[in-house]
Amino acid sequence: MSAGRASAAPGATGPRRSTALSRRAVPPIAVVLAAIGFFISFYLTLTHYRHAVPPCYVTTGCESVITSRYAVILGVPLSLVGTIFFAVMFYLGIALITGHGGRVIQAYDVLTTAGVLAAVGLFLLQAVVLKAYCSYCLATEAIALLLWLESLLTASSHEG
Amino acid sequence: MSQTPTNHLSRTKYRLLVWTGGTLALALGALALVVFTGASQTGSASVTVAPVGVADITAGPASAQVVLIEYTDYECEACARFAPILATLREEYSGKVRWVYRFFPLDYHPYAVPAAQAAYAAHLQGKFWEMNDLLYEKQREWAHSDDPYAFLEGYAQSLGLDMARFNRDAGAKTTAEFIAKQKAEGSAAGVDHTPWFLADGASFVPYNIGDFRAAIDAALE
Repeated sequence: MSAGRASAAPGATGPRRSTALSRRAVPPIAVVLAAIGFFISFYLTLTHYRHAVPPCYVTTGCESVITSRYAVILGVPLSLVGTIFFAVMFYLGIALITGHGGRVIQAYDVLTTAGVLAAVGLFLLQAVVLKAYCSYCLATEAIALLLWLESLLTASSHEG
Repeated sequence: MSQTPTNHLSRTKYRLLVWTGGTLALALGALALVVFTGASQTGSASVTVAPVGVADITAGPASAQVVLIEYTDYECEACARFAPILATLREEYSGKVRWVYRFFPLDYHPYAVPAAQAAYAAHLQGKFWEMNDLLYEKQREWAHSDDPYAFLEGYAQSLGLDMARFNRDAGAKTTAEFIAKQKAEGSAAGVDHTPWFLADGASFVPYNIGDFRAAIDAALE
């Protein structure tokens, strides 16, 4: 039985790797996390386009981060990139929950890896260059990390 | 094993339900953010701060109907965004509002205190509001530079201040103590962010000039 056939027949047996690639359960929490990431990023995007700089709180330097020159690349706010990223992750998660496989799984793995790399970069930017942290940004970075970990765990559980 | 037509139908329904539900949840959440964020919170809390005294930096008559107190930080982006709005309002409500400026330099802004010292030194030469507006207008210039002190001196020169006196006053212990005292009093009153506004005893969080007008007009009534 071919890998393609395996994806069309849930109960079929076949090569272990083909089955892992063709189907993977994504816990609903991953979709919920992607939705939370989407809402946080969307809120920051709204704030950006409304030109409404949040106040400077005693404990954090949120405004220093989201109004820094690194917050916009080639005219596109990073928060908008985050909004699109988490929306895509949300729909990929739904696609996996509803039984899609193959390229959806590959796209999910690639994007979670890209997401965690971007998150690490943005965290280092705050820690090293800006020396200020934005709680909204930290939350989205944590979500990107969790999505990547979840992707790793479910992939290894299917392959093992 | 092949799927029966019934199984296929229920699976299609399930997918339709999940995709539609997910899309609706995202869309409704986004819509709620658009609608419910950005609204002002005027008159949200009654707060007691240190009473206005002779040492306070003020504009407008002492007999003004409304007293508007602001706690701000020269390195705060939001404060800079509000500065031209406040300059407009000072003219618009001239004679009706007494504006009280209080220093609240945040710890994570390395040059907020030197900027406040420059503003206070300008105040001692009667040029506080000019320096205040200049510091906010040029915030990106001095706050992001390696040597903000050169810029602060440059602004003082451009305002025609006596430079020897300016440098002496800016570096004076009494200046540092005045700024620290205002910040400590603000913290004790519950000021936890900048800019922080109080109109006739009620704190409010404005987002635009309309929010200020609403708070001031309510206090004037």
